[in-house]
Amino acid sequence: MTDIMSEAFGRELAARTTFEKEAIWLPLLAVHCLNAGETVIADRTFSDCVIEGPALLAALDGVTFEGCNLGLATDPKSLFYKAQGPMLTGVVAFSKTRFVRCRFVQVGFTGQEAAIDAMAADLIAARDADR
Amino acid sequence: MSRRPIDRPVRVATDLSASVFEDLDINLFDLYADAAARGVGLIQDRTFRGCRLQGPAILLVASGVSFDDVNFGDSRNDIRNLVLRPEGALALGTVPLRDCTFEGCEFYNVGFTGDEAFLSLILSIGKPQA
Repeated sequence: MTDIMSEAFGRELAARTTFEKEAIWLPLLAVHCLNAGETVIADRTFSDCVIEGPALLAALDGVTFEGCNLGLATDPKSLFYKAQGPMLTGVVAFSKTRFVRCRFVQVGFTGQEAAIDAMAADLIAARDADR
Repeated sequence: MSRRPIDRPVRVATDLSASVFEDLDINLFDLYADAAARGVGLIQDRTFRGCRLQGPAILLVASGVSFDDVNFGDSRNDIRNLVLRPEGALALGTVPLRDCTFEGCEFYNVGFTGDEAFLSLILSIGKPQA
């Protein structure tokens, strides 16, 4: 059985740049990337993955969500948070990363205020269009 | 007498279903995963004394949670850096806490959120220093 907390597993996970049709536990990925010296997870592509929390994903520069399901919420705003200070603590931060056809479970989102407002507006528009 | 700073060697908690944790190191997402695996989607009715609690995680502080002599984390002299405000009525992606007590604990890579009353309280702890 794979020891997901082992150094060998962590090094291998942190070194990968593409993930396809996998379940990704965000806190675990974040811990292993942090152990590898990567405080912001960058230059990754996730395709057809299930991205699991609990976690708050901070979408920094160059993060895109293409055909993704960001999660279930009657009120899409419940997926989003606004930082109260200039720094973010406790989040899993990404930059220059593509999420393609991924499904997010138990994941919240934060980032630049304008980007979060735009994501929330898109989700609300999509919800209202389905009604 | 304060239990902080916690400078003992690492002691990783092994029984994550315990109701009392004393002088242990705990990954909050492991604690949540253990509770969720038992069908409970929150951390409830627990006491933490002298523990180091590690993220990455955002704690949703609900009713009955108390903090006594704790270090909320490295705020860089601005408590707002540890706080996030939920945009909606629910707060998805968080680790919810209810009826928990933290005494002499330290938090690492942990953010905090909650209702307006909690946000006002935690934001009143400190302000940017000139």
